[in-house]
Amino acid sequence: MAWKRLVFIFAVGVPLLAVLAFGFTRDPREIPSPLIGRPAPSFSVRLTDGREVTLAALRGKVVFLNFWASWCPPCRAEARSLEASWQRHRGGDVAFLGINMQDREEAAREFLREFGVTYPNGIDGGNRIAIDYGVWGIPETFFLDRNGRITYKHIGALGAETIHAKLEEALQGVQSRREGKGEYQSIR
Amino acid sequence: MSTSRSGRAGWALAVLVAVLVFTAPAVAGEDLEDRMREVASGLRCPVCQNLSVADSSSEMAREMRALIVDQLREGKRPEEIRDYFVSKYGQWILLSPAPRGVGLVVWIVPTLGAVAGLGGAVWLLRRWSRRGTAPPLPVDAAALTWIREAVQAGDSLAALTPEEARQVEALRELQFDYRAGKLSAQDYEELRALYETRAAAALADARRQRREVEALGPVAAPAAPARRGAAPRVWRWVTAALFLVGFGAALGYFLPQSVRARGDGSPTGDFLTGTREEAARAEAPDLPVLLQRGRQAMDAGEWDRAIGFFRRALEADPDEPTAHASLGLILHRAGHPDRALKSFERALARDPTSPAALWGKGLVLYESLGKTAEAVRTWEALLAQEISKEDRDHVLSILAEARQRLAAGAPPVERLRR
Repeated sequence: MAWKRLVFIFAVGVPLLAVLAFGFTRDPREIPSPLIGRPAPSFSVRLTDGREVTLAALRGKVVFLNFWASWCPPCRAEARSLEASWQRHRGGDVAFLGINMQDREEAAREFLREFGVTYPNGIDGGNRIAIDYGVWGIPETFFLDRNGRITYKHIGALGAETIHAKLEEALQGVQSRREGKGEYQSIR
Repeated sequence: MSTSRSGRAGWALAVLVAVLVFTAPAVAGEDLEDRMREVASGLRCPVCQNLSVADSSSEMAREMRALIVDQLREGKRPEEIRDYFVSKYGQWILLSPAPRGVGLVVWIVPTLGAVAGLGGAVWLLRRWSRRGTAPPLPVDAAALTWIREAVQAGDSLAALTPEEARQVEALRELQFDYRAGKLSAQDYEELRALYETRAAAALADARRQRREVEALGPVAAPAAPARRGAAPRVWRWVTAALFLVGFGAALGYFLPQSVRARGDGSPTGDFLTGTREEAARAEAPDLPVLLQRGRQAMDAGEWDRAIGFFRRALEADPDEPTAHASLGLILHRAGHPDRALKSFERALARDPTSPAALWGKGLVLYESLGKTAEAVRTWEALLAQEISKEDRDHVLSILAEARQRLAAGAPPVERLRR
């Protein structure tokens, strides 16, 4: 009787503990994106220089689409690598586009000045573009191939190496199986 | 007549139209708000995780509510809006996930739990009620009479066996309580019947056993059943004691470790939390380990790491002589003789006999500052300390060179660095 009870407790308790322990290894904030491999949602955004740009106009190029905010530390951390990557790839079949979200416009402009960002950046008022892309932690970056299909998504700060590798993959239309994750800041 | 009637009807129509025109937007607004809340309350807020988009006050949830209102205005149905959010954030966004795939678990497990709990409760209740209405034991009439007489007689209980004495005592107390007015007549009758039956059964049982024992002979029986009952009980106590000791030991061992300040090293390290950098920075905070690792880094030529270790050693003990002396040697190598000298002085202030500091101080004075005489004095002090033969030979050779130079009055040259 005592043995039976002991076996029962173990049979129930050990799997329960295992499930709870497994839960500790997960990031509860993580939201797996259903967008990878799908056509990128189209949008039109006003740039900081006043021009209007649509995603459709960038068809035929690989697009590096980066959501950011000036108050987000990992965005600051990656800003220089992003600009360096832009300098390396500009002139090729690659377009860089930053989307500023949940921010004040002056703060965003100050950020761009501070890091000497030269690629175009749009202001996403009302976060409609961000919601359309399922953004939940910034910086969040999408790589689009020439046909406007999302090949890779990365949550958190990016390094120049990863950017280069993923741009090359996007140029060849190679789709990543998993999304990437680094140090990120949850949106507000 | 007819004109007045049609006029009245016209008025009524005008009033009706006016009422509709003025109240319609308000009604539509409230209706829109309700429909928005209905959709939003089924969506999980991506910022706060455990609140719905309807309840969350985050900026993102506010914008999602605005988006829902816009889509409702465009004439989209609630299911379409839900599907839109699912297409962007996946099933994650639904507070009640669809009952398929993994989401099925969330629906099935609570149902199973409720069924199991209800089933268990029913089973237990039935078991209890069956015990309550169990048919009365067949009572040995002779034993019952004997018990009643024993209770009424009021004799001393000394002549009875302990079991018999306990039963009789209980019945007498019951009787006493009844007479003292603590029990109603009905309760008394019920309890008395129960106790008497039970006592009579026990008595009859005991007597039968006694008869069996007598029939078997005087030596055989009484120990056996007693021991069979006692053995598991002993084991139970031993197991419980062992478990308690083990539990206490585990608690004493793990608790102090797990309540240590975060980043101070934890029993699971970075396995559960993924805070590897924190752990690495905070690991091995004790002084000897830091010094040893610093020296190892120095020997390997990893100056940055070595400086890091010695700095941390100095955080633990701001006057640690070995750390100061080692930092001095590194500074000397890096071409900062003044700062190096300061480090050696700090080391010597705490420990005037520190060999590393004496050696380094001499080196700075001789090689970089050109104060050969002072260097010679410092190294002579070093030779008075206990150092290895190899070091002593090295010091002696460089000392000989310095003395030569001192005698020749020549300025010191840049030596090959050790």
